[in-house]
This record gives sequence, C-alpha cells and structure tokens, in this order.
Amino acid sequence: MRELLRARDLTKTFRSNTALNGLNLSVNEKEIVCLLGANGAGKTTTINLFLGFLEPTSGAAIVDGTEVTADLKRARSKLGYVPEQVSLYPTLTGLENLDYFVRLGGGHRDESHLRGLLDQVGLDQGAADQKVGAYSKGMRQKIGLAIALAKGARALLLDEPLSGLDPSAANEFCRLLRQLADNGAAVLMATHDLFRARELADRIGIMKSGTLVEVLSPESLDQAALEQIYLNHMHDDETIGEAQ
Amino acid sequence: MSGLVREIRFLASDRAALLWLGIALLVACVSVVLGLREIATQRVVLNELIEIDSAEREVLDTLYQDWGDVAYYTFHLTWDSPSDFAFAALGQRDTSPWKHQIRALALEGQIYETDAENPDFALIGRFDFAFAANLLAPLLLILLLHDLRSAERTAGRYELLSATAASQGSPWFARAALRVGALTICLIGPLWAGGLLGGAGASTLVPASLVVILHIAFWWGVCALVDRYGWSSPVNLTALVGVWLAFAVIVPAAIKISVESIVPLPDGGEILLTQREAVNDAWDLPKAATMEPFIERHPEWADYTEVSQPFEWKWYYAFQQVGDQTVEPLSQAYRDGRIRRDRLAGSLAWLSPPALAERAMQALADTNVAATLTYEQRVRAFHKALREYYYPRLFRGEPVSSVSIEQRPQFRGKES
Repeated sequence: MRELLRARDLTKTFRSNTALNGLNLSVNEKEIVCLLGANGAGKTTTINLFLGFLEPTSGAAIVDGTEVTADLKRARSKLGYVPEQVSLYPTLTGLENLDYFVRLGGGHRDESHLRGLLDQVGLDQGAADQKVGAYSKGMRQKIGLAIALAKGARALLLDEPLSGLDPSAANEFCRLLRQLADNGAAVLMATHDLFRARELADRIGIMKSGTLVEVLSPESLDQAALEQIYLNHMHDDETIGEAQ
Repeated sequence: MSGLVREIRFLASDRAALLWLGIALLVACVSVVLGLREIATQRVVLNELIEIDSAEREVLDTLYQDWGDVAYYTFHLTWDSPSDFAFAALGQRDTSPWKHQIRALALEGQIYETDAENPDFALIGRFDFAFAANLLAPLLLILLLHDLRSAERTAGRYELLSATAASQGSPWFARAALRVGALTICLIGPLWAGGLLGGAGASTLVPASLVVILHIAFWWGVCALVDRYGWSSPVNLTALVGVWLAFAVIVPAAIKISVESIVPLPDGGEILLTQREAVNDAWDLPKAATMEPFIERHPEWADYTEVSQPFEWKWYYAFQQVGDQTVEPLSQAYRDGRIRRDRLAGSLAWLSPPALAERAMQALADTNVAATLTYEQRVRAFHKALREYYYPRLFRGEPVSSVSIEQRPQFRGKES
C-alpha cells in the first residue's frame, strides 16, 4: 500500500505550549484514519501542519513523498481539504463556487464534468444552480468535498467535517468518504465523534494534549472500550494552540 | 462565467469597496470640474483684461504729447495663458496668471510686487486633479486593498482558498488587480473627460495617465509588500496609512525644509524694496550719479546725457533703469536660487512618489516653477523691447505721433 500521508516526529510548540508532540503516523491509500480527541488535543494542528498553514517546530509532514516545508506547492497539489465549516461565496451558485475553486487550483473543467462531480457527492442538479447562501451545512460540505475531488487530490484532510450535520447528512457524507477511500484516496479526519469514527475508520488515533496516545482498530472498540476512551480522552484539554 | 466577471461580482457585493471607488470617482470629478472652472475663470478674466487694456490704450494714446507721459501713463498687460491641461495641475498658475501694470519704469519691482513668499516648491495641497490622484487616491487604494485576505478570514474562506489555490498569490492578485483597475478608471475617466472638454490632446493626456498608473502601481506594490507579513486588517491599515503619511506628508515637508535651508534665497519683497530705495534715492542725487551707470549700459546715448532742467523724462527713465541695475545681482540670485531649489526639490522628490507624480503633472500642465520663470523672462523681454522703443524717442526728444505709437511693441501671449 502506498503511503500518502506521513507525520515523522512532528512537533509544534507555541511559545511554551506544546500543541503537538512528536507525532508519528502514516495514512495509506484506500485508508481512512480518524484522529479522536478533545479540544486542544492536537488534531487541527496536525491537519494545519500537513496543509502548510503552520511550520513544524521539528519533524516533518510528508505528502506522497513530498515534505511540506520543502515544497509546499507540490504538497498542496496532492491534498484536498474540507474544513469544519465550508464557507463559500454566497452570491455564487454551487456550480459557480466549484468552478471558481477549480480554476483557482489551476484546473479547468467543463460544466458537465463539474456537474458530474456534484452528482458524485450527492448534490442534486437543482441545488447546484442555487446560490450557496441558501445551502444547508451538509450541502456546503458536499461542495467542499467536490472541490477536493475536482483537484484530483489523492490525500484528503478533513477537520471535523461532520460537526453540525444531521444524522442523515452525516451518513451520506461518510458513505462518500468510504467510496473515495475505496477508490484509492487516503483520508485523515479529525473528529469528536467516537461512534462515527468506529463506523468509518480503518484506524483510530487517540490524541491527548498533543500526543498520540493510542492507535486502535475499530473492531477493538466495543461499548466498554468506547466509554473508557470517552472518560479518559474526550474531555477538553487546556492546551492552547489548537485553535491557531 | 469568466474569472473577470466573477471577480466583478465579488467586487459588486463588497459595499465598502464600492464606497471607496465611488468616493474616488467623486473626488476626481470634482477636482476636474473645479480645475476647469478655475482655468475658465482665468481665461475669461484674461480676455476681459485684454479688451480693457486695448480700449484704455486707445484713449491714452490720444491724451499725451510727450513720450515721457506716454511711457509713464501707459500700462501694458502681460499674461501667461494657461495650457489646455492646466486644469489638472494648477501648480503655480495662481501665482501670476498675468501682470497687468507693466510700464516702462523699473521692472524688477513690478515683477515681484505681489511676490510675498518664495513659491518655488509647491507642497501638495491645492485641490486639483493632481492632488486627488497623487494624495487622496493612494489612501483610497489602501482602503481597498488592506483587508483582501482578512476579509476572507472573517468570512471563513481563507483556509480553503489557501489550500486550494495553485499558487499563494493567485486568489489575491486577480482581486487586487480588479480593484486597482477600477480605481485607475475612476481617476483617469474624469481626467480624459475634462481633458477633452478643455482641449487637451492625447499627447498630454496619455503621459498624464501613465503618471497616474505608475503612481497607483507603486502604492499597489506597497500594499502587496505589507500584505506579505500576514498581519490583521487593523495592523495592515495602520502600517499602510503610516507609509502614506510618511511619503505624502512628512517627506515632502522635510524636503521643503531641507531645500530652503540648503539654498537660501532673497525674497521678492526684498528685491522690490531695494529697487524702490534706489529709485527714490536718485531724486536727491546729482544727475551724473544716474547718468553715468546708465551710459555704461547704454553707450549709444552718451551724447544725450545732459540734463539742464530740474526734471527731464530721459533722466527719470534712466534712474528707473539704474534702479533695475541696482537689484540685478539680487534678482539674478533669486532666479538662480529658484532654479537651484527647483532642481534640488526635483531630485529629492524621488523620495516621495506623491510629490514626484505631482511635479510630473505640473510639468505636463506647464504650471511648474520652470513655466513661471519662463513667463517672467517673457515679461523681461517685452519690457526690454519697450525700453528700446521709448529710449530713442525720449533721448532725441521726438514728437509723439500716431504712426510712431503704432510701432510700439505689443505683448503676445504664448501659444498654448
């Protein structure tokens, strides 16, 4: 299996606070890895380091063999990103937003291809021609995913993408992610949702205070284990820097 | 939808940006209209003065039978016709658009009669198009560009844009370029409209537009430079306004102080007083004290220097000329100093792009120091011609005749 995302002793400190402490983790193609943890555990910091929004204090974030700090442009060209809130241009339609972001990424797709992508992420054609200002969060998340797909990204970074979605939309979104992974994508997703993580992920990383404390398989997570994780790791940390 | 149309839609939905662009358009229009009105007023007054001057001359020319009286009572209008582009950069137009009391008496005092200060390096401040484009427009550009990134941060799109963009600058370049383009059009549009109404040709409007474009491009560069630091909108704005304040106000003020201190000048009033004193003193001095220095300058009248009466016109006009000769070094130093100040100010203006652009526009509009000095020299040349006309008649005691009066030199306005 090809390793598309790799954190090697990845560390980030903000003044005296360690937001991420020597993370070692890899995500292969066709694999979904969820990072679980409370606020301040280091999940978003990890994603921001892969995206090049933050410079590591030490260690490296590597995307398909390219170290992010060495060649940010090349690394980003292989990454798709779906933030917790996919904020789009409200005066443009879903299709126009997708077209804008595709062009911004240096690509150019004809309308039928873009509509095909929207169809693929489950956005119906009527909605594609509506202004995004009227969209629900779930619909905007789908556009975010379509943007990542249009880019042809092999590695996807998702930061709490299910937060605020209703169960049906969350199910739909997870189904899409699984489909993408099955087609060869590597997915690294930060989430608070233990149950979704168990259903979706191939591996689950438990983070606390900037440290990856455990990597579990979903099969090992019975009800008792979930409760234990919740009690031990899912309370807010005081570590600052997560929001940065 | 093309990228341009999409960016236009983004801009159209940004009310603050539309407000700044609206203000830019308004300021440019008002400055052009005020400039056109000022120049139109100067032209109307000038035409009236030319008519009055001509009518007055016709009457005066029939009144006097002595060349001394004719020369004494005849005032000559001289003027500096505004160029067709003067509306855009008034510069020193209002320092001396005309001098309507030029007589064959001592000249230097007449030239500097109203020159209470040294108008050698006009600081930015007159409300004309040059002021709007060079001082206000950079401020509006700063307001348009300072929050391009931070507005996206506020809207929650910044991370997605950054993560998606093929290059770091691509989302911002197109957006900034459109705003810069829109601002430039808001400035150049009224300039061209005013220019075409005022009769300015493309040979002036094109370089003037280029000055505006280059100046705006400089400020775009400054905004881009500050933007690289990734500060928040308020910090960006503070930094940019600080740079603007430095380039547009502090540096020009420092240049003015430096230039004045490096090149000291007598002022126009000093020339006027010195000359008046020289002329007034001549009344109490022996006639020879006047005629000797006069003959040194005009040896051709050496045989006509005898003054037997207590008052003779030739002696009167001779001491007027000697008055000019007395202040000649002062006047020359003043002119040379103004030229040196202007050159020095021109070199130092490279430290202040707004001042540099202002000077470029004044040069195009022919309203700069060089134009003022050229006009003064034209007045001197005309006055010299008047003396050359009157002296033979005064010294030889020729009778006044209408034929002879018709040969008197006439001031001609420059071709605009």
